[in-house]
Amino acid sequence: MKELKRITLSVFLITCTTVLVSAQSITGLDVMKNVYNRPTGPAITSEMTMTLTNSRGSTRERTIRQYLKKYGDDEKKIMFFTSPADVKNTSFMDWSYGDSGKDDDMWIYLPALKKVKRISSENKSDYFMGSDFTYDDLGDRKPEDDTHRIIGEETINGKDCYVIESTPKDKNSMYSKTITWVVKNSWVGTKKEFYDEDGDLLKTLTIHSVDKVNGYWVILDMEMENVQKNHTTRLQFKDVQIGKSINDNFFTERQMKKGVR
Amino acid sequence: MKNVKYIVILLILMVTTGLMNVSAQDSIDFGGYVRNYTGILFNNLQDGTSDNDFASVQNTFDLKADYSGDRADLHAEGYVYADGDTTLSAGIRELYFDLYSDSLDLRIGKQQIIWGKGDGVFITDVVSPKDMSKFIIPDFDEIRLGVTALKADYYLGNFALEGVWIPVFTPNILPAQDSLWAVSMDFPTGVEPSISTSLPSTTLENSEGFAKVSYMGSAFDFELMGGTMFDDAPTGHVTPVNLASTPKLVDVTKEYQRLLMGGGSFSTEIAGVVMKGEGAYYSGKAFNMSPDALLADLGSGGDGTIEKDAIHYMAGADYVIAGVNLGVQFIQEYILDYDSKINNDEFNSTMTFLTAKKFMDDSLELKFFGYYGLNNEDALLRFSAGYSVTEGMLLTAGVDIFIGDTGYFGQYDANDLGYIQAKYSF
Repeated sequence: MKELKRITLSVFLITCTTVLVSAQSITGLDVMKNVYNRPTGPAITSEMTMTLTNSRGSTRERTIRQYLKKYGDDEKKIMFFTSPADVKNTSFMDWSYGDSGKDDDMWIYLPALKKVKRISSENKSDYFMGSDFTYDDLGDRKPEDDTHRIIGEETINGKDCYVIESTPKDKNSMYSKTITWVVKNSWVGTKKEFYDEDGDLLKTLTIHSVDKVNGYWVILDMEMENVQKNHTTRLQFKDVQIGKSINDNFFTERQMKKGVR
Repeated sequence: MKNVKYIVILLILMVTTGLMNVSAQDSIDFGGYVRNYTGILFNNLQDGTSDNDFASVQNTFDLKADYSGDRADLHAEGYVYADGDTTLSAGIRELYFDLYSDSLDLRIGKQQIIWGKGDGVFITDVVSPKDMSKFIIPDFDEIRLGVTALKADYYLGNFALEGVWIPVFTPNILPAQDSLWAVSMDFPTGVEPSISTSLPSTTLENSEGFAKVSYMGSAFDFELMGGTMFDDAPTGHVTPVNLASTPKLVDVTKEYQRLLMGGGSFSTEIAGVVMKGEGAYYSGKAFNMSPDALLADLGSGGDGTIEKDAIHYMAGADYVIAGVNLGVQFIQEYILDYDSKINNDEFNSTMTFLTAKKFMDDSLELKFFGYYGLNNEDALLRFSAGYSVTEGMLLTAGVDIFIGDTGYFGQYDANDLGYIQAKYSF
């Protein structure tokens, strides 16, 4: 009997220790690294529809064909605007780097000028094409750029999530902090709140649809709401292809001028 | 007539070859715009003259058609301008045929070819001539003229090698003599010129050739280029007819000078600022003499022109702060081995300034672009507000203010204008 009690106590202690160690072994940084390092495929192509809705309920829609290819921690992306007519054939290219000390390289092609122009990467906190997404929001923010901590665990739409508070290390950041709900195991963010410099809620990002394409989790529908301006931007993706071969020569001035072919 | 024949032959070739490649997946994509531009001369409003209050009322229809095949494209863009109620003009802006292979592109036909990194200036951007009939007031895609050319681009990684052959010379379109934007040659008092224009004959040796190497990379982008070409702007060659008469009679033939050009441009980003530069060396450029020197030159058998080499360069920076696009450029033209008889200054310096910001989901853009001529302290200040009413429908209101008495911009001091423009893109 004493032996049974001893074994039971040992199992209990081992279980408790395992749970404690397990709970403590994952940090906010680990979670965000898992999100950042989640396999997304070596190359992705998709068609994105961007719908802007202002406080009066009127909407504007833009469609963009985009191509992305990863080179280790670096990636190259090219976007072709296909509608409306006044921005059609405009293209935008971004080369981003895993090295946190290296700024992106960006170019834009304006068909009216028939010229590819290098543009400043300092505009990453500017809003992309009048949307509620900044250039930074649309890119993969490096985990090392923020200080992260787990502030709780919640269940959203039946999925267990870590709740991570991230504070930018750069004091000039437009956000004082962000809070991200990350689905356990899949490491896909399902909701994110952005707080302004005064600490007030500025924007909420909601992921409406996530699916697996070729074995990779892909966000297919998301919506950013600027709660202070009562303005929303919805990004919906279709014709998502992962693993489709994209030639390295695609991410060049030649293709920016040539457009989608 | 030769041009017409050439275009017809080209059309037949394009259509025939294009049709041969048509497959079920191929398609023709149409686009373009309809636009009304109404400009008002402030000077005429102040004068109270009724007939010329409206400097320009123009309706435009622009139509583009693109046929995309597997390895070939056809592109055609035509326009119709209705100026006022009386003048109708139509033309082809571009009409070309593209052939693609993995690393070589060929473009044949009437096309705009744009080089350089500068904004609003033409330094190495010398392949396509310009329509200066309304100075630099129209959009740049309308100022640039298409040239009938064969263009080949060979790509190797981030490098591109471009060769251009232009068999038929196309000059700049100059403002009509009765136009608001007319530019007249300076002549001494008492001289009456009879002016004509001489275009180079269409021969093989009169064709133009250009080559360019370009690179796009993370650290910087650059272009190196050269060409054997005609100056798109003419020089007046003067022949005395009767210098003893009153007034003195001379013939002036506007000729286009053959010259060599070599140049380059670059852009790079340093600490968030896009730095850019562009420069060109022109060998054998012709300049007109000043009125004071003209008669003496004619008396010694000259024709009122001097040939010199010249350098034209630009240094500039673009920056974005709080969503405001800012840009500044310093541009200078320098005539080497300067002769004081030349009508132009030895150095001619200009600065440009850009400020632009978008508001309201990018549907409203406020923009300022200014040129400031340092030699004559003259300027062109362009303010505009463009509002996208619905998808594709853009309303723009703006003013163009000329400042100064003389100089490239100051000569148009009386041409300050305001305008409204409605443009629907489809």
